[in-house]
Amino acid sequence: MGVISAIGHSVDENHAALVNGKTGIIKGGGNFPSRYSGILPFGEVLIGTEELKTKLGVTEPGVTRTTLLALHAFNEAIADAKLTQNQLTAADTALVGATTVGGMCLTDELYANTHGDAENIEYVKSFDYASVNLYIQTRYGITGVINTMNTACSSSANAIMYGCRLIKSGLANRVIVGGADSLAKFTVNGFNALRILSDEACTPFDQNRKGLNLGEGAAFLVLEKEADVADKKIYAEVSGYGNANDAYHPSSLSPEGDGPYLAMKNALDSAGLKPVDIDFINAHGTGTENNDEVESRAMLRLFNALPDFASTKGFTGHVLGAASAIEAVYSVLNIDRQELYPNLNFKEPISGIGLQPVQAHSVAAIKHVMSNSFGFGGNCTSLIFSKVQ
Amino acid sequence: METTELKEKLKVQIIQFLNLTDLTPADIKDDEPLFGDGLGLDSIDSLELIVLLKREYGINIQDPKEGRKVLVDVNTMATYIEQNREK
Amino acid sequence: MMSFYIHKTTCISPQQTFGDNIDIATLHPSVDNKLYAIEPAYPQFKGNALRRMSKSTRIGAGAALPLLAGAPQPDGIIIGTQVSGMEENGKFLNQIIEYNEDMLTPGSFVQGTPNTISSQIALISNNKNYNLTHVHRGLAFENAVIDVAMLLNENPRSNYLLGGVDEISFNNYTLDTLAGWFKKEDCLNSDMYSSTTDGSLSGEGAAMFIVGNDKQNAMAQLKAITTIHSADVEVIKTRIKKFLEENLADGEKADLLLTGENGDKRSLPFYTSFDSLFDNYTSIARFKHMCGEYPTASSFALWLACNVVSGAVNVPQHMIKRKGEATGFKNILIYNTHKVGQHSCMLVSLPV
Repeated sequence: MGVISAIGHSVDENHAALVNGKTGIIKGGGNFPSRYSGILPFGEVLIGTEELKTKLGVTEPGVTRTTLLALHAFNEAIADAKLTQNQLTAADTALVGATTVGGMCLTDELYANTHGDAENIEYVKSFDYASVNLYIQTRYGITGVINTMNTACSSSANAIMYGCRLIKSGLANRVIVGGADSLAKFTVNGFNALRILSDEACTPFDQNRKGLNLGEGAAFLVLEKEADVADKKIYAEVSGYGNANDAYHPSSLSPEGDGPYLAMKNALDSAGLKPVDIDFINAHGTGTENNDEVESRAMLRLFNALPDFASTKGFTGHVLGAASAIEAVYSVLNIDRQELYPNLNFKEPISGIGLQPVQAHSVAAIKHVMSNSFGFGGNCTSLIFSKVQ
Repeated sequence: METTELKEKLKVQIIQFLNLTDLTPADIKDDEPLFGDGLGLDSIDSLELIVLLKREYGINIQDPKEGRKVLVDVNTMATYIEQNREK
Repeated sequence: MMSFYIHKTTCISPQQTFGDNIDIATLHPSVDNKLYAIEPAYPQFKGNALRRMSKSTRIGAGAALPLLAGAPQPDGIIIGTQVSGMEENGKFLNQIIEYNEDMLTPGSFVQGTPNTISSQIALISNNKNYNLTHVHRGLAFENAVIDVAMLLNENPRSNYLLGGVDEISFNNYTLDTLAGWFKKEDCLNSDMYSSTTDGSLSGEGAAMFIVGNDKQNAMAQLKAITTIHSADVEVIKTRIKKFLEENLADGEKADLLLTGENGDKRSLPFYTSFDSLFDNYTSIARFKHMCGEYPTASSFALWLACNVVSGAVNVPQHMIKRKGEATGFKNILIYNTHKVGQHSCMLVSLPV
């Protein structure tokens, strides 16, 4: 696995912050030039873009911050999985990534190029979503299936699901799956126009929640078949997944939460598990009024006895296209380290619902973790990770 | 500006801003509910109308929920504008 | 097995490909180096709904809804697109700069996400099933095809809505022209293949398919698909040869090639090499003078292949590059490239 986020630039750094309850959400980190820097809290990755380029040895023109974050996490993941050069370039190695921003983090450059600037065209081929994976593919000579997905906030969950299915169908024997997104004026202003950004650190599942904080980062996981793992460390297995559509409204969930409910149910069915088998849920929990209430109702609808649950977005912010991949890493850590990480900033349960998330780090016997992601367009995906016996 | 004039102007602006190409100002009654039954606008439209109030009349509504109290029909919008617009 | 049957298909494109009077014999000309889609009236979309739709959503949903009318709900909606919603994103982007990030209207932000097409179709048809959007540029549609093929292996009795959609937007046209992908000089689509310069003509369209495992009443079979990432002519030639050996039975030949030649001199070597794999038996036809160049143009080719193989349309003269000896088109091989590095082949056959 590999991850970079507001709480660390590696799996170990992220883990330490999760254990210590140390948030990465701040105002004015300095790397995101926007009217809202210093005013709104963000989960910023505290490395400048130029410094990232130097560290990663990127010298080609046209490489965006989103791609750099992806590359950083990708490098950690393939090293951790001990993939050889031959394996990386083999026809049975696939790359499935997700992003909602792509090269649009360069909002000002995009505007300039589409309004007459024909001189500074360094990024002209990099504004789209596929540019992230295409860069990684070229850099490493990947020849298997390559795919980019964008289903808003559930994007990298769908990438993980797709990777599993490629292996199951025989189209790949190993898949590097994940996502990346960087802070962009584009998304900050979009969510602000929808009035769902909070001017304080987000408080998922809290009665007085005011909205979400945006974050940036990337995560990749290497999926392989059990038969191929040999003596490598197995963190966990992806034992189930489900995708469903809420079919209610472009940017908010239905009161009954059909989409979330069906996604979770489909994931359980695909894993051959019952609700009672789930030990912990890494919730989508963005801190918006709509999501947290609907997600709570959907969980209560499915689970007779709701297991422990928490949203980790109080640590990282909502990393959009990379959120599910980052949260997948955290869910796998729940299993690998047999512990729970807290839902930060929680004070008071939502009235009429009364749910309390996990509020402190604790050791726990964890066999199955469910991780949920619900995006615009009603796109709902649920993943289940399980301990390998 | 006379209230009637304001209401007519508002109807034109609402149609343009929300891209309601099917409608003319004559189709919008002063007391026709903007949301629900009536014009059938939704939550994204309410956010857009708040922006309309800012851009055209200099009125800043911070809380979308407060906005919904103002955005009941053309009558309530016109009254609010008259009371709160930038001189 | 990456194969399935196609039962129904519709296409909104720059040619007369939609509705009751499909006529591809008449070639509609490009205007200003662009091939804009001929849009039908959309009686099923009320004014309120249409205003919320980006062009891609309009043509995507407009092409999909006739396939869904009066039929059981598909078990999933899977769309490939790259630039859909870019017009809307452009509008929002302009607001950000022009209003200096202050008080912006959210409509175009929400309407600009690429999964708006698949989710609007789901919303309109109240479909809560699997819903996915693939955006990998020139292989976005191919990835959607692979997704559906896997789904049908996993759920053999299901049916799916598969689509490829892209739109011409001011922003993308500008960016792609700056990057050298569209011709800078005036060029008519009917003259495109004899051009010796870089770049192609810009196009758009929405092609939708209802697919499943049931051979009964199928109009065509997608027998196999492959995607190749390379800029090396020899590598691609070798891969395509292997693809043909693996998927055409002994003695079987491709009757017709549908190639994505697009008037860009940089991609011509790939098509010349591809054509050379086939002898005089095989006819060669081209399609991008009809639909233009866009990331999911191969979906237009698939629509064509389904209609040709099922006998619903004849291959018009303006498409033919070389008339071969084959008297009927039972096996059609589509080969497409996008921006030089992405390639795909699809084998479409008469269901047997």
